[in-house]
Formats: sequence, structure tokens, C-alpha cells
Amino acid sequence: MSASSRAASAFFLAWVLSIIWPSGLQARTTAIDDSGSQALEPAVGMRWKSASPTRSPDGNLMVGTTTIRVRVNVMPWLRRSGRIYLALPAQQPGPIGLSWVTQGRFLSGKLQSGNRVLVYSGPITSAFMEDTLTFQFTVNGALMRRSVPVTYHFEMDED
Amino acid sequence: MHTAPPGDWVRLERHRLRRALCGAALFAAAGAAYGYTATLYPQSPQTVYLQVGVGNFTNCYTCNPQGQPENNTTVNNETVSVTGAAVGNGAPQAMTTNSTATQSFWDYYVYCSVPGQLYIGGFYRTTGATTAAAQVIATVPTALTDPAGDKLPFSSIKWTSSGNGDTGGEPFPAGTFVNGGQQSVGSMASNTWNESCWSFSYSNTTVPPAGTYTGVVLYTMSAP
Repeated sequence: MSASSRAASAFFLAWVLSIIWPSGLQARTTAIDDSGSQALEPAVGMRWKSASPTRSPDGNLMVGTTTIRVRVNVMPWLRRSGRIYLALPAQQPGPIGLSWVTQGRFLSGKLQSGNRVLVYSGPITSAFMEDTLTFQFTVNGALMRRSVPVTYHFEMDED
Repeated sequence: MHTAPPGDWVRLERHRLRRALCGAALFAAAGAAYGYTATLYPQSPQTVYLQVGVGNFTNCYTCNPQGQPENNTTVNNETVSVTGAAVGNGAPQAMTTNSTATQSFWDYYVYCSVPGQLYIGGFYRTTGATTAAAQVIATVPTALTDPAGDKLPFSSIKWTSSGNGDTGGEPFPAGTFVNGGQQSVGSMASNTWNESCWSFSYSNTTVPPAGTYTGVVLYTMSAP
């Protein structure tokens, strides 16, 4: 191989690495198929957190609880490691609080809309991951004149 | 006869395999769903609570556990006995109540003093942005009457409004009863606690026949 072709090969290799390495440093986020999830209640009834109004902002909060059998399809990441997040995008009617308690497969936690929180980190050893989550939504009563849909999802950051 | 060289067969099989894999991927994608939607709806969000005189709460609402409003059907009295020498002399006669309500159910603060003051307070809960205030209406008979049928106009009774340690305007301000009919005695903005202590007095400007004069005023709260 001539010196010029060696230089060309080295340049090509460096060019390839320069493309590969940056994507390797940043975790790739992918929404997870959760079509197997099932809600035990079709809708979430919101009640006042406190029966009476208070002089603090908390006095106007409404809370509602629902239980979801979560089943996420993690087959694309089988035998790899990853981090699963529960994401609650910013959405109408305004700031929404969400807390949840799990049965242990995922982590319990809480978050405000516009954020995401880690619920699993480690190896993906089965095609599906399942848990029963009890969700509690919190919304200011001033925003709850009528029914509102609230969307959340699970997403994977690959290691 | 045309015979394809081995290399072409390999390319053909790979091509078929790719198409088959694409088909499988599309089939799998068709059943996938990303994200879950929960529908939140206001469930029994409207609550009204009005207390005139004694009332019931399981606990105060800044207490832990937090209190819950309850029903209390007690009808409290405001009374005054005017001595013979003082009847009709124009000096207002302070009335007293048999109500024992002194503490606010908001925080158990001793807000009113008995027997000189009658507690009135409450709230209404509603969802959505700020709405019109709830109104408290008094339905007043034409007159107070005695067993003989003698009458005293209800307008001979008035009240002042205050509260221990209170500042600012009263949600249930001072007033004088009308002689029959309905009158507004205060209002409550949504999702706020409102309370006042009323001190009633009899104007004592006439000399009616001796007797015990009574009348019942009904207080009603109506939320929008």
C-alpha cells in the first residue's frame, strides 16, 4: 500500500470514527410500545385534596387516583442495558403533578408535567416488562372545569 | 436454458429476506402504541358550607387529619329582655345568643365572643376559573309577634359585624333586617373561607304591649 493510499485510509477511518463516536456518547431516546397496558378504571375522578378551602395554594388542589397494569414492549432492547423513564409532557389544562407507587418491577416516583423520571435502569432480560402502578394525579381545581385528557408515556435511553 | 450463476441466487435470496423482514417490521409496528391517555374529570367538586351559630366539623381543616364539614340542624336564638323602665327610651338593647360557637373551624381560632356575638361563616367549592360569588340570603318575616298577635317590626333589629383580631372588610357586614322578604347579608368568593361575628341589638324606639315577641330568620346560601 502506498503512502498516499495509507493516508487516505487513515483519513477515511478518522472520518468514520468522527461520525460514530458522537452518537455513541449521547443516549438515544426512543418511545416504548405500551399497547399492552391496561387501565383498571376508564377515567380518573378528581376530588378536592382538602374538603375546605385553605389560605395556601394547596387548598385548591384536586387529586385523583387510578391503577394501570403497565406492560411495555422492550423486545428491541433485549439482552442490552437501558434506562426507562416515565415522561409526562407539558400539556393542557396546565401544570399537572403525577406520583405513582409500583409493585417493585419499576421504581416509584413523582414528577411535574414537562419532565420525566427514571423508573428502571439495568439489563433488559425479557421482551416485556410488567408492573401495576397506582397513579395519583394532582391538578389545580381552577383548571378543572371539565374533563381533560392527560397523556404520558414510557421512553428508553439506550446505554 | 438459462441458468443463473450462484452469485445471483444469493442476491435474490437476500433480497427476499429483506422484503420479508420489512413486512414483519411493518406488521409489528401496526400493533404498537406509544403513550397512554388518562381522562381526568371533576368528581363531585361542588361543596357548600354555611354555619350560622353552632355548626359541625369533624376536625378543623388546618388540622391533621383534615376536618370535614357536617350537618347541624340546631336553631340558635338571639334574645333581649327590656326592663319596664327602659322600654321605648331609644337606647338600643344588646341582644345575646344561646350559640356556643366561638371558634373558627378553619383553625380553631377563637374568633367570636359569646353570648354577645353570633358566628356566621362558610365556603363554597367549585372547579374552573374564578366564578361569581355565592350569596347568603336572609328570609325575614314581616314582624316579630307575641301570642296575643301584637307585632314588632323586624327592622327594629340590626347588627354590627367584627371578629377577634380581624382586619379589613367583613364578608358578612353590618345591617338591619327588612320588614318581610329576602335580603342579602353577605357573599363568598369561590374557594375561600369567609366568617364574621354578628352583634345584634334591638332599637327600642317604641312602646309595644308587654309580651314575648319572636320571629325566625332563615339564612340560605346559593352558589352559582
